[in-house]
Amino acid sequence: MMTQTQTLMSLFGVTTEDLNRLINIALSKGGSYADLYFEHSIANEISLRDGEVNSAGSHIDYGMGIRVLYGDQTGYAYTEITTMEEMERAAKVASQIASSSVGGSRVSNIAVSTLYEYTKKGGYYPVINQWEDVSVSHKIPFLKEMNAIIFESDSRVSKVMGRISDSNTKILFYNSQGVMATDIRPMFSIVATCIMESEGRVENGSTSRSYRAGFEYLTMEMVREISKDVVSKTSFQFEAIQPKGGEMAVVMGAGSSGILLHEAIGHAFEADFNRQNTSIFADKLGKKICSEDISVVDDGTIPFNRGSLNIDDEGVPSQKTYMVKNGILTSYLHDRISASYYKTEPTGNGRRESFRYMPLPRMRATYMENGSQSEEDIISSVKRGIFADNFSNGQVQIGAGDFTFFVKSGYMIENGKLTQPVKDINIIGNGPEALSDIVAVADNFRIDNATWSCGKEQYCAVSCGMPSVLVRKLTVGGVQ
Amino acid sequence: MTERDKDIARVAMELAIKNGCSGSRITMSVNTQSSFSVRNDKLDRLMQANSSSLYIQLFTDGRYSSFSTNRTEEKELKQFISKAVDITRLVSPDKNRLLPKQEYYFKGEERDLGQYDNSIKSIDPSEKSLIAHKCAAEIFNTDKRIISVNCEYGDIDEYLYIIDSQGFEGTSKQTNFTLSAECSVKGSGDSRPEGWWYESSLFFDKLIKEGVGNRAFKRAASRLNPKKLRSGLYNMVLENTVSSRMVAPIISALNGAAIQQNNSFLRGKLGERLFSPYFQLFDTPHLYGANGSRYFDGEGIATKPMNIIENGVVKSYYINTYYSGKLDMPVTIEGPSVPSCKYSESVNTINVSRSLEDILKKCDKGILVTGFNGGNSNSSTGDFSFGVQGFYFEKGEIIHPIKEMNITGNIITLWNNIIEIGTDPRESSRWLIPTLAFESVNFSGI
Repeated sequence: MMTQTQTLMSLFGVTTEDLNRLINIALSKGGSYADLYFEHSIANEISLRDGEVNSAGSHIDYGMGIRVLYGDQTGYAYTEITTMEEMERAAKVASQIASSSVGGSRVSNIAVSTLYEYTKKGGYYPVINQWEDVSVSHKIPFLKEMNAIIFESDSRVSKVMGRISDSNTKILFYNSQGVMATDIRPMFSIVATCIMESEGRVENGSTSRSYRAGFEYLTMEMVREISKDVVSKTSFQFEAIQPKGGEMAVVMGAGSSGILLHEAIGHAFEADFNRQNTSIFADKLGKKICSEDISVVDDGTIPFNRGSLNIDDEGVPSQKTYMVKNGILTSYLHDRISASYYKTEPTGNGRRESFRYMPLPRMRATYMENGSQSEEDIISSVKRGIFADNFSNGQVQIGAGDFTFFVKSGYMIENGKLTQPVKDINIIGNGPEALSDIVAVADNFRIDNATWSCGKEQYCAVSCGMPSVLVRKLTVGGVQ
Repeated sequence: MTERDKDIARVAMELAIKNGCSGSRITMSVNTQSSFSVRNDKLDRLMQANSSSLYIQLFTDGRYSSFSTNRTEEKELKQFISKAVDITRLVSPDKNRLLPKQEYYFKGEERDLGQYDNSIKSIDPSEKSLIAHKCAAEIFNTDKRIISVNCEYGDIDEYLYIIDSQGFEGTSKQTNFTLSAECSVKGSGDSRPEGWWYESSLFFDKLIKEGVGNRAFKRAASRLNPKKLRSGLYNMVLENTVSSRMVAPIISALNGAAIQQNNSFLRGKLGERLFSPYFQLFDTPHLYGANGSRYFDGEGIATKPMNIIENGVVKSYYINTYYSGKLDMPVTIEGPSVPSCKYSESVNTINVSRSLEDILKKCDKGILVTGFNGGNSNSSTGDFSFGVQGFYFEKGEIIHPIKEMNITGNIITLWNNIIEIGTDPRESSRWLIPTLAFESVNFSGI
């Protein structure tokens, strides 16, 4: 019986000798490190509109990328055809980084302490029923049920849109240090969107779940849960207003508030920005940056989580990385280049959208660990502010530190009570200030399993989580 | 694109029909791209690659599905399309899933639209690298406040080939060249504000290669010592680099899918005056040399100049074949090509030239927005809230940068408060949206 490595080498039509030959070509101009990343991905989707699943799709993407490092300089080329002729051509292109460099000093080899071959079956995302074996006809009932539940739940529902997408990605990695690594990564998402109409008003709501898991993970219970959720979210919009804006206290509800961490500090902890001295946290490693009650983690090891990885896209085993431990900035998020620069081990954060992209330090599942207060006590401590618990997107300016996130729904807090529902407001703050302004952390931590994607130059699946927290002051968008 | 690439598309078409499809559209996309990035004074990244993708849309027994692959060897393609047809037969029939009426196809002579630079294949990589190096050298080590400089030259050579089973055949090709710069400077405390600038052109010789680094540095330095203003109603001037952000929600709301799914604040508004009578939004798909000019859309339907908003009245939706059937409305086009707008009493009026400086003076005081930071808009209601960066101005002169501020409102209200539209769109942009000015915009700050 073939090992997973042998199976994938056969899939990509290469031998160990081929791989070594490509590495040699890649390093022929004097590069200090080279790696090869082979990828085969099959993605499928079905969509429901107007009560029927009337569209399906399937998409194959196949190819390999060759990266050559000369110090911290990168040459990269990819090809969709894995004949030796095409791959050698790509290797020669990538190798030019060494010969065309101006003033690039050669640095020491990239720090990786162990050779790694992933052999544990499934790892953090074992699969019983592979998506590629599941017929469209087995997926359709889930969307039909979703449609029926949502329409039955509220007479104001006028439209329901549903989508199930799944993918299976096979990866083979090999580098000039002899590291051979493989991974097979499943992923699925189910999304529900609901439109309601009432007395001339139209409102929409959307909700989703996404996991690195096989077909067995998608259940009717999950469908019922998200159907109920999307009806609740859409219905809420009819009661909500855009509030009066300005600076005020913000209580971030548990779960998807993890977007605060992702935008406010997570990106600024990615080591490429710090290595280049462009992050607002570039001089803060080892220093106290917030309350000692706060610990922030980026974790690639949560079973079935959308952000989890057995290995990253540089062949480094995944890990749970404390970025902030008891208020101290303890680690940046490293790829191999930044790990070499900081003379430390990579943290398994070297990720890429596909073989078409070179890897960068990227987040996985980013969350804050539990505090000790109750959410109720935190809300009751606020005289005037906003409680926000449903978010759609965010952004950050790494150098200035200004971050934002968009609140789909929440409540005003007046004299310690949740009062007027609010919606569709942007909240803006400054990362270091917001972090130091977190004055209370609740004990209700949870991970949000929605279809979060991060768009730093290229898209990567991520997730986030949070207990409820009180931020003393943020700028809330609103009207006069 | 080679004849072999076109043959692959033809083979895919034959396979689809052989497997029992009543119709099929095949799109072959091929591109070659390269980029050279310089950080400070040394080459940081170089990248070069060729890509091709085959998009397959199948129509069978009143059913529809779409597929793509870059595995185009005939044996694999046979298996893929056979499986694709089987998948398509499992979804529900939909009588509106049809190829276009043939009368809508583009059939004319493909007069040159100024989209392709034949010189792209002969540009030496060392020249590309040198352009990026020169861009960085404009500013690196020229000011002690500069922390980091990143400059990138990039180019792409793209071909598209579309055929369908009704006999439509269309090709298009485009080149694009870009030069961009980002600069970080030391600010107060730990702050490191960034500035960026970019130039792009469909032709290498027309790409502006000088001054890009300098503009990035000036924009970064101009952001030092920002202040947050009190919340309130301000005039808002949107720089032409970012003004399309406030047109995008309108374009999205005009899309047939959004209209049909009741998820558009412009649903049922065709023929109604919703916006300022001075607001004209139109599409010029045959503008020579404009990024986005095209003779046909993704269905092969011929593009034509269109008035989208005329004197504030909603004149057209973007309706493709499918949504034409669903909505019982005539086909227009699937989406915008080269949208543009102006402020005048009639769409045919020739505007008097208005620059950013003219508009700042006219507005007297307010906030000039030069960048967005997150935010979103609600497609059903048109309500929006965005983070912004920019400058407070008085008497038409910049006073200081702003920080941590949001704008909030409703798109229809906003466009009724339009007070000026410039005549200065960036020629390199896909959407030719110039400087815009609005009054009474809600800014949230202190």
